[in-house]
Amino acid sequence: MTRIHCAGPWFLPLTVMVAPAYAVDYLSAEQAQRLLIPGADSFLEQSVSLSEEQRDAIRARAGVRQRTDTQLVWRAERAGELLGWFIVDEVIGKHEFITYGAAISPQGAVMGIEIMSYRETHGGQVREEDWRANLAGKTLADPLRLGKDVPNISGATLSCRNVVDGVRRLLVLHEMVLTRD
Amino acid sequence: MHLRPIALSLAGLLASAATVADENLFGYVKGAETLPEDAWEAYTIITNRQDKSVGHYEAWDARIELEYGVTNKFTLSGGLVGQAIDTDGIVIDGYLPEDKDSGLTFSGAEASAKYNFLSPALDDIGLSGYWELDYTTIDPHSGQDKDTLSFGSLLIAQKYFLEGEMIWAGNAGIEATYAKRGKIDNLPPDFEWPTDPEMEIELLLGTALTYRFAPNWFFGAEILYETEYETEVGQERYSIFAGPTLHYGGPTWWATFTWLPQLTGGGEKFEGQDEDYHLIEKTEQEFRLKLGYNF
Repeated sequence: MTRIHCAGPWFLPLTVMVAPAYAVDYLSAEQAQRLLIPGADSFLEQSVSLSEEQRDAIRARAGVRQRTDTQLVWRAERAGELLGWFIVDEVIGKHEFITYGAAISPQGAVMGIEIMSYRETHGGQVREEDWRANLAGKTLADPLRLGKDVPNISGATLSCRNVVDGVRRLLVLHEMVLTRD
Repeated sequence: MHLRPIALSLAGLLASAATVADENLFGYVKGAETLPEDAWEAYTIITNRQDKSVGHYEAWDARIELEYGVTNKFTLSGGLVGQAIDTDGIVIDGYLPEDKDSGLTFSGAEASAKYNFLSPALDDIGLSGYWELDYTTIDPHSGQDKDTLSFGSLLIAQKYFLEGEMIWAGNAGIEATYAKRGKIDNLPPDFEWPTDPEMEIELLLGTALTYRFAPNWFFGAEILYETEYETEVGQERYSIFAGPTLHYGGPTWWATFTWLPQLTGGGEKFEGQDEDYHLIEKTEQEFRLKLGYNF
């Protein structure tokens, strides 16, 4: 059973929620929203709660676990028109989670991603614009696999793989949950 | 007993001086990952070996290593080796001629190389080759003078599970050793202490699994099987060590602590030892602390 609800006050600013003492937080959720969907005049929180069955279905389709049962989602609009969805996600880094924001068009194509927090010793190259640009325009019709249609960054392989797998998972989540809105 | 403070002081000194490396999730079993190109890692490894079931036996091994990522797939490393030993009331014919109490002493150097054939994060399974050359002048078992040259070769496999939350590693290797002991005056009557050069081959198999139970923290276990072969006697002895390992990894440094008791062993024994262990060159307990810094 899918529930889309507005976030309550427990939705503290994301950077506070996920940041340990030495975290490197590059962008807040609001900053990432503005960068990825600059034409929007409003971002409405519509976070998603997923049932166990939905998480299993996402895993089966995406090939990677949907680790949490809540996904932070904002609906981006301009003058009431849907421009896309902004989703905050966490994937596993070598030691800690990598927090990133992804924008997905109403048609299910990646509009772009921004790395919001990265806390690892090596592999910070996933933040580089050239690499992130490889994900733009990807849909579920693409393989969206590291080393196939998205190039690897040597020395940052685990980070790259988990971000790419994460984006593929978000496209599945979008198709399964957000397109029904 | 002065060995423990010396070793811990050394670890503390290195901990404060260095700044990060090829992160070791395990104390004994090696992982397949290599350092990124142009990355440096410095680390220290302190190993405590104790108990031979008779008398008192405690030894500390210390290594300081510096590692460099030549390319993303090729890492070189070099280091210095030191040791301390304290034995009392235990004599093993041919191996431990007398009581020994020495503080931390420089004993040699080592160099190693690791080449990554398959990446554990990109391919179905990671695979690396590892080669190590050691030269030491002190016998780590007795603390006596002994020139030893060893060359080891290891095949390392590693696999990520659960997007990297669980990590498995497996090792299979062989080490060839050339050794020549120094002469000792006033040996006990009929005590065997050959000073002719000797050769030995050791085979090693290891496997380990660890799980990230909290951000930065991994807990797992490792198992190590080692067996030694000599020309005259064939399989001389073997041992199986297994135990838990705790790892912390942060953005600038990491630490790994492993307790590896000997579960079983066999082969050549000395008079009075516990029947179920290999205790001539091994001990009943080993503890290892690794500290690494990336820069």
